[in-house]
Amino acid sequence: MTMKIGTGQFKERVDQGINDSFMRGAVAGAQERIGTRRNDVISELNWEEWRSHGEEIRQHVLEHLDYYLEQLSENVAKRGGHVFFAQTGEEANEYIQQVVAKKDAKKVVKSKSMVTEEISLNTALEQAGCEVIETDLGEYILQVDDHDPPSHIVVPALHKNKEKIRDVFSEKLGYQLTSKPEELAGHARKKLREEFMAADIGITGCNFAVAETGSFSLVTNEGNADLVTSLPKTQITVMGMERLVPTFEEMEVLVSLLTRSAVGQKLTSYITVLTGPREELDVDGPEEFHLVIVDNGRSNILGGDFQSVLQCIRCAACVNACPVYRHVGGHSYGSIYSGPIGAVLSPLLGGYDEYKELPYASSLCAACTDACPVKIPLHELLLKHRQIIVEKEGKAPISEKLAMKAFGLGAASPLLYKMGSKIAPMAMNPFTDGDKISKGPGPLKAWTEIREFPAPNKERFRDWFKNREKGGKQ
Amino acid sequence: MKVTLFATCLVDMFQSDVGKATVELLERLGCEIDFPEAQVCCGQPAYNSGYVKESKEAMKRMIETFENAEYVVSPSGSCTAMFREYPHVFKGDSIWEPRALKLAEKTYELTQFIVDVLKIEDVGARFEGKVTYHTSCHMTRLLRVASAPMTLLKNVNGLEFTMLPGKEQCCGFGGTFSVKMGQISEQMVDEKVMHIEETGADYIIGADAGCMLNIGGRIQRTGKPIQVLHIAEVLNSR
Amino acid sequence: MMQGTIQNRDAFLNQIASRLGRERLSAPLPRPAWQYQPQDEVLKDATVNELVEVLKTHCLKIHTSFVMTDLQNLPETLEKTIADYGNESIVTWKDQRFSDWGLDPLLKDTLPRQNIDVYEWDYTRGAENIRQAEKANIGITISEITLAESGTVVLFSDKDRGRTVSFLPKTFICLIPKSTIVPRMTQAARIMREKHLQGNNISSCVNFITGPSNSADIELELVVGVHGPVKAAYILIDDL
Repeated sequence: MTMKIGTGQFKERVDQGINDSFMRGAVAGAQERIGTRRNDVISELNWEEWRSHGEEIRQHVLEHLDYYLEQLSENVAKRGGHVFFAQTGEEANEYIQQVVAKKDAKKVVKSKSMVTEEISLNTALEQAGCEVIETDLGEYILQVDDHDPPSHIVVPALHKNKEKIRDVFSEKLGYQLTSKPEELAGHARKKLREEFMAADIGITGCNFAVAETGSFSLVTNEGNADLVTSLPKTQITVMGMERLVPTFEEMEVLVSLLTRSAVGQKLTSYITVLTGPREELDVDGPEEFHLVIVDNGRSNILGGDFQSVLQCIRCAACVNACPVYRHVGGHSYGSIYSGPIGAVLSPLLGGYDEYKELPYASSLCAACTDACPVKIPLHELLLKHRQIIVEKEGKAPISEKLAMKAFGLGAASPLLYKMGSKIAPMAMNPFTDGDKISKGPGPLKAWTEIREFPAPNKERFRDWFKNREKGGKQ
Repeated sequence: MKVTLFATCLVDMFQSDVGKATVELLERLGCEIDFPEAQVCCGQPAYNSGYVKESKEAMKRMIETFENAEYVVSPSGSCTAMFREYPHVFKGDSIWEPRALKLAEKTYELTQFIVDVLKIEDVGARFEGKVTYHTSCHMTRLLRVASAPMTLLKNVNGLEFTMLPGKEQCCGFGGTFSVKMGQISEQMVDEKVMHIEETGADYIIGADAGCMLNIGGRIQRTGKPIQVLHIAEVLNSR
Repeated sequence: MMQGTIQNRDAFLNQIASRLGRERLSAPLPRPAWQYQPQDEVLKDATVNELVEVLKTHCLKIHTSFVMTDLQNLPETLEKTIADYGNESIVTWKDQRFSDWGLDPLLKDTLPRQNIDVYEWDYTRGAENIRQAEKANIGITISEITLAESGTVVLFSDKDRGRTVSFLPKTFICLIPKSTIVPRMTQAARIMREKHLQGNNISSCVNFITGPSNSADIELELVVGVHGPVKAAYILIDDL
């Protein structure tokens, strides 16, 4: 599975994250800054209605996905674009390699795209003899730093500080200025401008395709997607198959939800709506346009309990609200999709063997569900994963299964429950120190490693209540 | 008004003082309290761990136990939210879904019941001290009860209130999350305790037994001079 | 326009239909009747002058200078704005409106006489246009639709209106006829859709531009001017 990042077991990755104090400071700061801006900018709107509209649009599209994809492909072809439907990542990569070969392309510039990360397109392009340059500043930094994986869907290099970026730039690019962000960005601008002017092919992702006109939109603040789609002679756009809307009217609503949720802006600096290759007498824009529509496991999610996850518009609002992500960072998830959306999506696209811990990496606090602009019930989907892991996959630990069996029996029988809770103080006696248990047995062990657990009351509440009833009140 | 108390297993076994305060408070506000002995656990620990089948057994017992009540009141936001979730759990079950729905509709968290049903905003309590309040996730996000506890606390005589920074952040309890993902839970509860300390409060008040167990356990382990109280205990003090 | 190709479609769409538990949809779908339409409520009853105020205020947030003028004073205002941004080379669209608004003397005479290059887009010169845009200090374009809420100008590309005029130069100057102001993106989307439904081809590139290029990718610190323009200026022309 190519969406996988890093090595090592989940717990080790989490330990690494927890011990990375720069990353944690950066993530906490980002959550607060983006969160505040988002809250400000959504408070101007009747946000709940906007969310409901976003949800109904996304649900409608998923229910009629084959129809809208057919319409989209017809309209792209009508405007002279070539459409390739790829059921797997490999098929998508092979097709793109063929285009590269036909164009004898040596240099590819890319704007940020999660789906191309998911299918490891860059590796495929390099195999085809191409130099690939990521042009989103964050992605560029990661690429220059020996392909460090992204740790956030919207701010991919969030885990790096400017000193580190300066060091990487000096080592790899001969950079000689300070660690000031504007100087670093200025250097990247200069370098990338040369790349843009020399590139043979531009590759983009797709925020929202528009079925009615065969258009698609790209949302950035940097304007890199505009240069990627203006300068090279050939353009390839890769989209996850669910990322489309019926018309411009719905596109507009989702773009508004996206920019507010992702970065707390009413609109980002550049929202570009492209339709087909350039027209006959146009000077800039691509002469040839290819749209690659990727399934890569998405269709298996349709029609099942997890369909709503395909409503996602990749804004990362859930990531920015997540207390678990806050402390462990993006790399802990072992997937390019991190945070709550990653914890739901990664097991679906990458399998439970690889990602069985992720559904448990949540306190079910539901901050993600509240933040989602298209109302994906993320915490409920995490629960659904847990249920499947327990009931269908049989991947739960035996001790837990036994405990839960006992729970089922005990909780279902008032008598057993009463007896159990009655003998608890006695059973716990050996571990009790005054009013607390500091070194608990069994499942309590993990609890008491970091906190005290109260000793069971000698007189349960129910006994107090009963005695009081008997004795007459006061 | 007849109130049937759903005490929750944590209160029954570990926090009987909270149960006592709840009973006394509601009686003072004119309610008649009933505690059905047959009550067990709401099923949440199993349900949230993915053991839906096992949890349904507990849920059925709870429905049978409480379905004839006039009002069901619980001193725990999370457990109340679980009751409200029952119809969703039994969705499509022709026998249990309607029964679950009937129960969900008359179940209230304690402060919600006082403010929304009894229509009381000042319970006539007196509590001297500097306090802050932990808004638990399930109570605010699932049950959508945010203002009731604030309203009631505001009207307690002598109480000095400071808002908790980062109040919307989870404390790291999350039921079995607290033991399954102990290393992450620890970071979360530490940040929570740090924010509580920032307020300079002597008391951290909550309305959810699980969160209080977590935050309280960590405060006790790290030896901070902060006391944990359930909101029922504060509202019941005079 | 040559028709493009479509590959591997049927198997792909059949799989989707089968997962959704039904046959492929073939009959045209009617427009969905949406239950919610909150976008119509934004700035619903605002007058044009109120929209101008909203636009002006929002420019402060998007690092964009904003100046209002009328047709009579436009040449002077533009000249001053160009001077503010360094009086260097300029690239403009080829657009009749520059002439109509009396800008010919400035663009074709006054500025060149001060040794300021003014290059007008000319599709017959092919790639030379891009070279000119790349070395120009200032690019001048005209907004077709202007979104008050977000401070956004909308540009439609064609053979005379190159895309790169708004991206490659260091400074982005956009002339905004007051008559183009609408509340928000909602109205722009409808105008575009209307145009399509009336049988017109939508431009191959429609740009919604909101201030200069920027990035917060390094420690979330805002850097203005990354790939595209470093500076942006709007000149609102009272044409009503």
